[in-house]
Formats: sequence, C-alpha cells, structure tokens
Amino acid sequence: MAKNGRRALRSRGRVYQIPIYFGKLLRGFAYMNDWKVLPMAAVIAALVSMVVRKDFFVTMEGTLKGAFALSCVAIWNGCFNSIQVICRERGILKREHRSGLHITSYIVSHMLYQALLCLAQTIITVYVCNLCGVKINTQGFMTGNLMIDIGITVFLVSYASDMLSLLVSAIAHSTTAAMTVMPFLLIFQLVFSGGIFSLPAWANGLSDITISNYGLRCIAAQADYNHLPLAAGWDTLVKIENEPITGETTANELLTVVRKAVGDDSPVSQIIDTVTVVTAADPAYAALTEEKIPYSVNLKNIIDGVGRDGLKKTIQERTSASRRSERYEQSRENIMDCWFTLFAFSLLYALFAIIVLEFIDRDKR
Amino acid sequence: MKVLEILCVIMFEGAEISQIIRGVLIIIGLAKLFDKCGLKWQYALIPCYRYYIFARCAAREAEGRILFSLNALLTVVGLCSSFYSESLLVTTILFVMTMVYYLYEIRVLIGITEVFARKKRWAFLWMIATFIVVNLWGWSPKFQPQRRESDIREEIETFFSNAHMDVMQEGLTVNLEKRTVSEFMQKKTLLRDVHMYIQPGHMVLLLGGSGAGKTTLLNAINGYEQADAEIWLNGRNIYKEYKDMQYQIGFVPQQDLMRGKDTVWYTLANAAALRLPVEFTRADRVARVETVMDIFGLKPVKDNLVEKLSGGQRKRLSIAMEFLSNPSLFILDEPDSGLDGVMARELMEQLRLIADQGKIVIVITHTPDRVIDLFDDVIVLAKDADRTGRLAYFGPIGEAKQFFEKETMETIVRSINRTEEGGEGRADEFIRRFAEVQHG
Repeated sequence: MAKNGRRALRSRGRVYQIPIYFGKLLRGFAYMNDWKVLPMAAVIAALVSMVVRKDFFVTMEGTLKGAFALSCVAIWNGCFNSIQVICRERGILKREHRSGLHITSYIVSHMLYQALLCLAQTIITVYVCNLCGVKINTQGFMTGNLMIDIGITVFLVSYASDMLSLLVSAIAHSTTAAMTVMPFLLIFQLVFSGGIFSLPAWANGLSDITISNYGLRCIAAQADYNHLPLAAGWDTLVKIENEPITGETTANELLTVVRKAVGDDSPVSQIIDTVTVVTAADPAYAALTEEKIPYSVNLKNIIDGVGRDGLKKTIQERTSASRRSERYEQSRENIMDCWFTLFAFSLLYALFAIIVLEFIDRDKR
Repeated sequence: MKVLEILCVIMFEGAEISQIIRGVLIIIGLAKLFDKCGLKWQYALIPCYRYYIFARCAAREAEGRILFSLNALLTVVGLCSSFYSESLLVTTILFVMTMVYYLYEIRVLIGITEVFARKKRWAFLWMIATFIVVNLWGWSPKFQPQRRESDIREEIETFFSNAHMDVMQEGLTVNLEKRTVSEFMQKKTLLRDVHMYIQPGHMVLLLGGSGAGKTTLLNAINGYEQADAEIWLNGRNIYKEYKDMQYQIGFVPQQDLMRGKDTVWYTLANAAALRLPVEFTRADRVARVETVMDIFGLKPVKDNLVEKLSGGQRKRLSIAMEFLSNPSLFILDEPDSGLDGVMARELMEQLRLIADQGKIVIVITHTPDRVIDLFDDVIVLAKDADRTGRLAYFGPIGEAKQFFEKETMETIVRSINRTEEGGEGRADEFIRRFAEVQHG
C-alpha cells in the first residue's frame, strides 16, 4: 500500500517484459529486413570455402588457415548482426526506460533474438562449407559428427562477437560512432588471434582476450591439427624435383656415401671395404678412384628411386612434429575450455551492455 | 631537493629559473585579474585550473575546459618525460596537442579583450608577453571588465520571489528552489525560483527563448530529473512517490521516438503492456488500446507501419502512447513541430479536449499565436543576467499580454530574449517585476 491509503500500482516485471521485446525483434526480422544477414552468411561462407576447401582438415597449414577463415566468417557475421541495434534506437530506448522498461529485459530479449540469428547463420555456414567441398562431414571428436562439433564452435564464436558488438552498440551514441569502432574491433580480433600472425611476447596477453584466438584454437583441435601432415616440406621438394643437380665426385666419395647409407652390417659395406682394400694396394687403381667424375641428376630420379609415397609420408610426418602445439591438442578439456571461454565472453559482454545502458538517462540532452 | 624541483615543475610548468620567475609573475597578475572579474584570486595558485578560471573571466567557459584538459595533459607528459624515450610518434602527438592548445588560447584571449572592451590586437601581446600584459591588466585601474560575475550574482540575489505555493488537493503545485548540475567542478544553476499552481482542466503554454530552461522545468516537474523542489500533483508529492505516480504523468518528447518498422497496433499494445499496471488483464489492455485509438483517430491505420504514417498521425500516435495510462498531467514538448498550420491546430484542439476532461496539459510550442485561444495560462521562462532560467510570468493569457505590454506571444518571447539573440534584452526587468508581484 502506498501513502495516503492509495494502493500502489505495480508495473510489469523483468520476466514479463522479455517477450514484449522479443516479439518486437521478431517482427523487426520481417519488417526491418534483418533476414538479409542469412543470405549474406551463405555468400561469405561460399567464398571462403572455395579458397580453403582443398587443404582444410587435410594438412596442418590448410587447417590453420581454414580455422582462421572460419573464425573470421563467424566474427564478421556476429559483429554485423548487432553493431547498430541499440544505438540506432537510443532515443526510443530512453523514452521506454522512462516508461518503465527494464534494461535487463531489453538486453535479454536481444540475447535471445541474436542467439536465434547466430544459430541460423551457423547452420547456413556449415551447410554451405560442406556443399562447397570442405571435408567437414566426417567423424567428430566431441559429438561424433564433425559438422556438429564445428557448428557449436562457429555458433559460440559468432555469438560472442555478436554480444561484443551489442556492447559497442550500447556504448555508442550513434550508428556512425558504432560503425567507426567496428573496423578496429575486427582488426584487433584478426591480428591478435595468435594463429596466423606470429605475435611478440607482450601481445600474448591480448591474444588471450580475443574471440578469434579461442575460435581458431577450438576448430584446429577439433580437426586434430597435431596429427595432420605438414605439407610445406614435401611440397617444396616436389616443386624443385625437376631441377638438375650437377657436380663432380670421385669413386671413393661415392663409395663412402653408399657405405654410410647402407650401414656397417650390410653385405654391401663388406664388398665396399674389400674393393677399397684391393684398390688401395694397386697405385693404378688408387689413382682411378681419386679421379673426378662429372655427374648430373635430378631429385625426381632420387625420389622415384627411394619410393615416392614412402618418402612423402616420412617427410610430412617428421616435419609436422615440429609444428605440434598444446594449444591445438585434440582433447575434451581443451575443446571444452574454448567453448566455455567463448560462452563466458558472451555473458560478460551482455552484462557490460546492461551496466552501460543503466546509465542511459544520464545522456546529455 | 628533488621534491622541490618537481613542485616547481607542477606549480610553474617549467623548472628553469627564468620560467619560474615568469610563472610567479603570471600567477600574481592572474590573481589580480581574477579579483577584478569578481572571482576568487586564490584560483591563480591552482595549476592548470587557473586557465579554466581565466577563460571564465573571458566568458569562454567551453574553451576553458579544453585548455584545462590540454594543460593538465601536457604537464603530465612533461613530468613523465624522463620515463620514455622521445620518439617521432610522441613528438608528433605533443606538437598536435600544443597547436590545439594555442588555437583555444587565442579564442580565450580574444574573449578577454572583448570583456575588457579592448582592441583584439591585445590578444597578440598577450601571446608573446603574457607575464607583462597580465600584470598590466591586473594592476592598472585603466583596465576594467565590463562583466563581473560577482556583481551579476549580487544583483540577481536581490529579486527572488520566494513565493512558496500552498499544496492543493487537486492540481499541480510547483515549488522549485533551484535545479543545478555539476559541470567541471562548478555548480551551474539551470533553473531557479519557480513557484506556481496550475488548476486541473487547464491547458498551459510554456514559453521561453532558447536555453531558458523549458525542458529542464518539464523534466523537473515530471520527476525525471529531480530538482531542489517540491512538486505536488493532486495532493501527492511526485518526488517521494515517483514509482507510484510515474504513470500519472505523460511526457511526449519532441521527436517521434517510436519504432518505424512496427505497426500502430503493436506500438500501442506494447506501450500498454509497459505502462499499465499488472492488475490490467489482457482484455482490459486491448480495450484501452481500442479506446485510445478511437480518441486519436488511429483505427484506420492500426495495421500500418509507423514509418508509413503522416507527420500528424505519428504525433497523435506518440501522444496516444502516453495517454494509454490515462495521466492526470500531460506534458508535451513541441508537439506541433513539423506540422502545417491546419494539422497543428487539429492536434492542439485534441489536447484541449484532453484538458477539458479535467487533466492538466502543459505544452511547449514555438508557434503559439495560431492556437493561443485554446490555452488558459502561460508560463514564461527567461534567462537572467547569470544565464539561469527564471520565471518571468505565470498566469492567464490575457493578463500576460498586459504584463508584457505586447499583443502576441511571439513578441513577448522577443522582449525577454537577449539582444544578441535578436531580442529586446528585458528578461531581468520582467523577472524582477514578476518576483515582486509574486512576493506581494
């Protein structure tokens, strides 16, 4: 009961207000052409897939590039979903706040709506990637299906970026201000992802607070990056295999190389030893073994001689060992850690957005 | 010694002896100058802040704030210079900051020449020999400011009405002592000494020039920006019972703050869900929305998008949103802006009908004369010499014309506007006269 014996009138609570605003946002999807972000997601996914599809989930480099590209797509989608949603209606929001709107309800309704939007974009992105030939439709580590595993990661990256943009939109007083900040936000996320660009030591801390870092790390782990072959060494070798290698050598040098290659216990080594002893005894033969013999070979002959497939496998395995990293370890803990961090980022940004908007009445007239 | 050295740097923004001497001379000159301008001489002792006070003497407060910030920043950078190596980037930033600083300093110096009614070329002398000129202007009786803040305050203090209105069980009682804001470590009074009583069923026109405090007064009345005041509506204190009374006051902002991509029906239905108490069932809310749509003639466009409505329809929708909660006090900030004469008249007639239902309607409009016959009372706010909003008149329209000896509302506004705004600059005269009338 209020003073003067009048009954206090209760206005709608926070929970009740959520569907009001959620409904507004759903109507906005149709009226405000918010649906345009869905075909945009498909186009972006198709473009990126066409570039990375060959080596994504096949080699280490291809997977790292693909993971980075997919993270970028998700961040891009998320950022563009919400960068203008609050600042473009700041005046309206102020009026409604004055009329009893709870900021928590407003942000929660945005969180729900944006989650739906991100989910739809994720499904489209993963589907288009699969359609474009990215080898994504295989067994997954977490759920048994890699498409679902990657889908969860893409969704979380996209949603965290969405919430970050929502925060920027809550801070910015105009769409122009928000769109000015947006490129810096994207560049920061991309540069400090910690995967593609080698960062100085001081930047590692910054990398830990970027969404892209966790997105890239998670996708690489899900693709079992550490057990993929490294293509760079073998590819370089193949590129120069037809180049002729010319020079001069002696019979002795040749025999020493062969002996080293076959080992002491080999019968070939015994024959070489016998030949060496015999020739050393006769000065005529000794002079002959020291005579320079010109040669011209190419790597192709050697590779084919040794065995192409075997050599390729050996080189790729040996070189990939040097690139293995704990960051990309395919383990439940590692992947869950990334997922949890991305989700925590989303909640944190939304919380900051609520705090910022609680002060909306203090805007200068 | 090190402490002393740092203290010198802070106090005089330089550590060399010649700079210290110059600094001391500037402080002495500024102290005298501040005293002449009616400000505390001690401000001259406060590093950086003295430049803001100097700008106030020059009637350039805004520039003063920037000067203060830049000066503080440059001093901090100077103090920290031993901690960083001078790079091209730092030098460039410092150069740009210094250039901006000089730009604002020139503006302030031109301001001081204007306040002291001297030729602008003095600003150049100020730039090259500050420590000499500041002492010359500070000590010489030949240099006197045309505007002393303390004089203005003393003069204003003499004509307060302090006419405390009795609280009535019906209607709106406003006893506003002052509304202040803190700006740059200074309290600034936006509105002062507004006392009035508005009867229920009255439609009141709120007049005043730019910056006279019209919106400040409305926000203070509806409790959105609370002032040092007591506002009573139908015997209830708005400030103390704000949560309960929030929906008894409808405030229609100047802009059409509604979502253009929502339909008229949903805009009103959502507004009803927000504004009406939980005791209202869904059926009650729908009925209320239907009623309000009927009143404001919005039924034919109920399924249209808000952005597709005409200017008049949009205004009506904006008003209808506030009318849903059936407020006893209805405040409208320029509801006729952007409307042609016919539409504006129709809208005002609708507001008259609302007032006739026993509600109080307060309207700000810049074209009052075409609808003046619809209003009962007029509130005239004006800026006094200290640029604070004050009540220059409150009462019936006819008496207002006699009070100001003018035939139209627009000429009344012109009479209270400052001369530099194209007005007659008689605000203080009317504020004083009305204060005397109220004081009895």
